[in-house]
Amino acid sequence: MTHPKLEIRGLQKSFGAVHATQGVDLAVRPGELHALIGPNGAGKTTLLSQISGEILPDAGSIWLDGADITRMPAYRRPAAGLARSFQISQLYPDFSAEDNVAMAVQARSPGGFNLWRNARRMARLREPARDALERVGLAGRAGVRVSALAHGEKRQLEIAMALSLDASVLLLDEPMAGMGAEESQRMTALLQTLKGRYAILLVEHDMDAVFALADRVTVLVYGKTIFTGTPDEVRRHPDVRAAYLGEED
Amino acid sequence: MTRPTSTNPAAGPLSDAGGAGASVSDTRGGAPNRDGASRVSDTSSAGRPRITRSVVVNAIGLLLFVLVPAIAQATGESFLVNLMTRFLIYAIAAVSLDLILGYGAMVSFGHAAFFGLGGYVIGIAAYHVNMGETIFGWSGSNAALVMWPLAVAVAALAGLVVGFLSLRTSGVQFIMITLAFGQMLYFILVGLMIYGGDDGLSIDARNTLPGLNVNDPASFYYVCLALMTLWIIVCRRIVNSPFGMALQSIKQNPRRSIALGLAPLRYRLTAFVLSAAGTGLAGALWANYALFVSPDMSAWQKSGELMAMVILGGMGSIFGPVLGVAVYLGLEQVATGWTEHWMLILGPVLVLVVLFGKRGVYGWLVGGKQ
Repeated sequence: MTHPKLEIRGLQKSFGAVHATQGVDLAVRPGELHALIGPNGAGKTTLLSQISGEILPDAGSIWLDGADITRMPAYRRPAAGLARSFQISQLYPDFSAEDNVAMAVQARSPGGFNLWRNARRMARLREPARDALERVGLAGRAGVRVSALAHGEKRQLEIAMALSLDASVLLLDEPMAGMGAEESQRMTALLQTLKGRYAILLVEHDMDAVFALADRVTVLVYGKTIFTGTPDEVRRHPDVRAAYLGEED
Repeated sequence: MTRPTSTNPAAGPLSDAGGAGASVSDTRGGAPNRDGASRVSDTSSAGRPRITRSVVVNAIGLLLFVLVPAIAQATGESFLVNLMTRFLIYAIAAVSLDLILGYGAMVSFGHAAFFGLGGYVIGIAAYHVNMGETIFGWSGSNAALVMWPLAVAVAALAGLVVGFLSLRTSGVQFIMITLAFGQMLYFILVGLMIYGGDDGLSIDARNTLPGLNVNDPASFYYVCLALMTLWIIVCRRIVNSPFGMALQSIKQNPRRSIALGLAPLRYRLTAFVLSAAGTGLAGALWANYALFVSPDMSAWQKSGELMAMVILGGMGSIFGPVLGVAVYLGLEQVATGWTEHWMLILGPVLVLVVLFGKRGVYGWLVGGKQ
């Protein structure tokens, strides 16, 4: 039995009367692509935000590589090996695509307080950034200002930035959100290439993608995990069908 | 008297590839990019500075600055040197403010505090040298090479304290807290009766520089020009450095920056301290220029003036505020000839710039962003 890469124990979070996370347990094994599904408002993004440190949980703990990171400041978590992408693209609109990824490269490498060298001419920042853009299929758009990118391209850029942090755990919040069928397929293919190399916690509504990609699936409903299993088990599970799949399609 | 470049504003910070603006690798001239999909010049080929329009325009701008004393002498308009010295000093302060306002979205409404501090360091030391007394056991100094760095250091230290406390807030609270710190210093200076209190403090002589007669207006002008040019070069390097990119990233999307592993406070505070230091230098120069310091130097009106200059010229370009100072002082010069209520004219101009030209006069001059 391998030690989980990322483990969540008894996590709880309430916003006033809304219990967004109610005692969630979850483990992502090394190299596993673990999908987190659930209807809207199930608390998926809230859970991800607690793992990434944006929101502090009320109770419970979060473990990364066997170390307790529950109270670690958000800005330290990428260095500990945790990278996230956002459901609504969080990018730098006035920077070019390459600048955006280069910021990720810079954030994980030393010398961020260099006040003198021209950052846009530093090969050690720009080359990995261009490589990452190429991996996600944005090589031809490196110089384009982010505010001029199409929605799908922004989603790809989100992934490129998460990858550039050299983290071992990826938290991907609906990478296919708002994408067309063709774009979704391309994103699925991209995520397929990441499988096995990272421990991935994937929040996604696109069921075709989830069943194609996931090793295991956890179903979250009203802040509680109601089931964890393989995609096949999830598909057959009556509660899941009632709670989620039935509603969706 | 402006320092325009042909840097395409459609690319905004993207095209700020050149250190000191003298090597901006911008081959597009001023042609605005209609589709908004601004492309960054190929960074891999940007190893060597090329002669571009912006380099030429910068060189012409600098040449005009250099020629000011000669022009003044030729035309007999000796006030020109004084006016332009004031201009250079304000430009140093405005560029410093742009560092945090334009690149960090930190609206400091108390920046005049650092201007006043820089000035009072010079004034107080001069007072003690004159009286033959010591302050904290130190007999003071008249040497610019001692006093100016000291003024900068005091302003930077004050910036560290003010920034550390203020940067816990953001938005309106940040504006209010910096305003409060500025007014606090103002009233402290008013209360310093030994140093003239409300009336301010006269300074007998300018700080001395080896091998230069700074009492000659032209020489002092060139000293200020050299310092402004140097400070602009330093600021351009800073905003294009990894640090500057991180600062801009935090301005654009702090949430993302934290998720990438950047601690915003460190970057903001460092920028704030640098900005305070530059403003302190301007204050020290002002004390030398006017041979007089008063609490008004750190009053909120002065902070507002500095902000107006930055906004008029165009935030987030370093060159913009220089132009803003030119417009502000020019407007003051012209409008005071018409009416003593010249702010009546400045007000509407500022409103128009804020409403219709977010990138200021500089942005308008080099072609607007769509």
